[in-house]
Amino acid sequence: MTYAYLSVGSFLLVMLIWEGFCRLGFIEPIFLPAPSLILLRALKMADQGTLFVHVLASARRVMVGFLLSSLIAIPFGIFLGSSRFFKAVFDPLISLLRPLPSMSWIPISLLWLGITETQKYSIVFMGSFAPSLLYIIEATRNIDPILIRAAQNLGASRWDVMREVILPGAMPQIIAGLKVMLGIAWTCIISAELVAAEEGLGFLIMNAKEYFQTDTIFLGMLLISLTVIIIDVTFRMIEGKILPWTRN
Amino acid sequence: MDEKLKNEIEIEVKNVSKVFPTNNGDVEALKDLSFTIEEGVFLVIVGASGCGKTTLLNLIAGFTRPTSGKILLRGEEVQRVTPQCGMIFQQYALFPWKTVQENVEFGLKMKRIPKRERAEVASEFIDLVGLRGFEDAYPKALSGGMKQRVSIARALANDPEVMLLDEPFAALDAMTRQVLQEQLAKIYEKHKKTIIFITHSIDEALLLSSRIIIMTARPGRIAQDIVNDLPYPRNASVQLSDHYTRLKKDIWNTVQAEVLKSMEVEAD
Repeated sequence: MTYAYLSVGSFLLVMLIWEGFCRLGFIEPIFLPAPSLILLRALKMADQGTLFVHVLASARRVMVGFLLSSLIAIPFGIFLGSSRFFKAVFDPLISLLRPLPSMSWIPISLLWLGITETQKYSIVFMGSFAPSLLYIIEATRNIDPILIRAAQNLGASRWDVMREVILPGAMPQIIAGLKVMLGIAWTCIISAELVAAEEGLGFLIMNAKEYFQTDTIFLGMLLISLTVIIIDVTFRMIEGKILPWTRN
Repeated sequence: MDEKLKNEIEIEVKNVSKVFPTNNGDVEALKDLSFTIEEGVFLVIVGASGCGKTTLLNLIAGFTRPTSGKILLRGEEVQRVTPQCGMIFQQYALFPWKTVQENVEFGLKMKRIPKRERAEVASEFIDLVGLRGFEDAYPKALSGGMKQRVSIARALANDPEVMLLDEPFAALDAMTRQVLQEQLAKIYEKHKKTIIFITHSIDEALLLSSRIIIMTARPGRIAQDIVNDLPYPRNASVQLSDHYTRLKKDIWNTVQAEVLKSMEVEAD
């Protein structure tokens, strides 16, 4: 509890120093607006309703792209993780896709799909699919082989082993990997919105830069942080529900 | 009991050899091993570490195939993992994401037996190993001895013809080990399964078995094959009898010779 107070205290202190610096006129608001100005901007935009439009636009894009990529990566990863043959078949393709940063997909996705929602989803998908897949293959490989033997010994077929042993056994590591991937999915969407979009948090901060609305830029950055934190906390709550056996 | 020993042959090991290729050349784990086990026998295999005991058990369970020779289970060659041989591992091998109840039900679930029936059979065996009240616990919350009891219940619930136990009590403390040995002896009396039990404890062998095979140092062959005719129950007075001491001395002499041999091999 004392530590929580410490964290709150240190946060307030930093804000106070920041506010004081700006009020005393050390820095022009156009480069660094005071926290109070950012808060004021937030209240104004919330009042106009534009704030949530941007948050929702980005969140929706991340969720759709991320869910699609997870839904395909989980079964496919488990399959590749338990079959040496198909792992070898797909290895070259995965190795080529994996090093590509999501940013590098933006030009080709714009060419193929235009400035559309589908283009945003595809950026999130391409940015998170290959790394997710590798996480899941790795998680599948890490299962204690004795558990697979035990299952076979009790009459489990190949399919039973995948569903009853490999999937639940790899789940904690898969979820840990997906948490990291969700963070990466956010980087994907912000960069995609920075380049070409008409709404979303990335668009908000890029557009604000054009008009020198520094407070809006900071507000947008703050919102990105907050959204990722909220999603992370939600994820952790779900995790306890899905994996009761890992709880202490 | 003696009537039963003359019964059908359960397992036939025929000229089995197993070679493991390694970077330093081939290692011969078993060499031309042959013996038969009749139905209802409690066979304990004793031997120095690295004598191929576990290799033999893995071959019978069908986890691996022999390099040459074959193993017959009720006259049929073992070609793949067979649920007819229920394996109990030293490391318990319980599914951490399943509760005690779900672990014990696993084999029945694989047989697609309806849920209600599964639950009935499982609770019968959970009772048998004295774990009533722990049905909903996850393995993580159990002690080593309790975990091994779950694993025994899980194997029994699947109703195998043969039970294979690979040093099942080696990781447990002395007190727990004794309790589980007694429980296993009772289960054997009640269910009369054919059991193959691996250990390096001579006392454990004498306490549990109806037959003892002592294996040689690598490559594993049979050094001695003894009928254990100690009377049941094998309580303290049996364990202090002359007969017990004589058997123990006899086994110890063979084991000691093999251990010394295996140490020489390692020193080379």
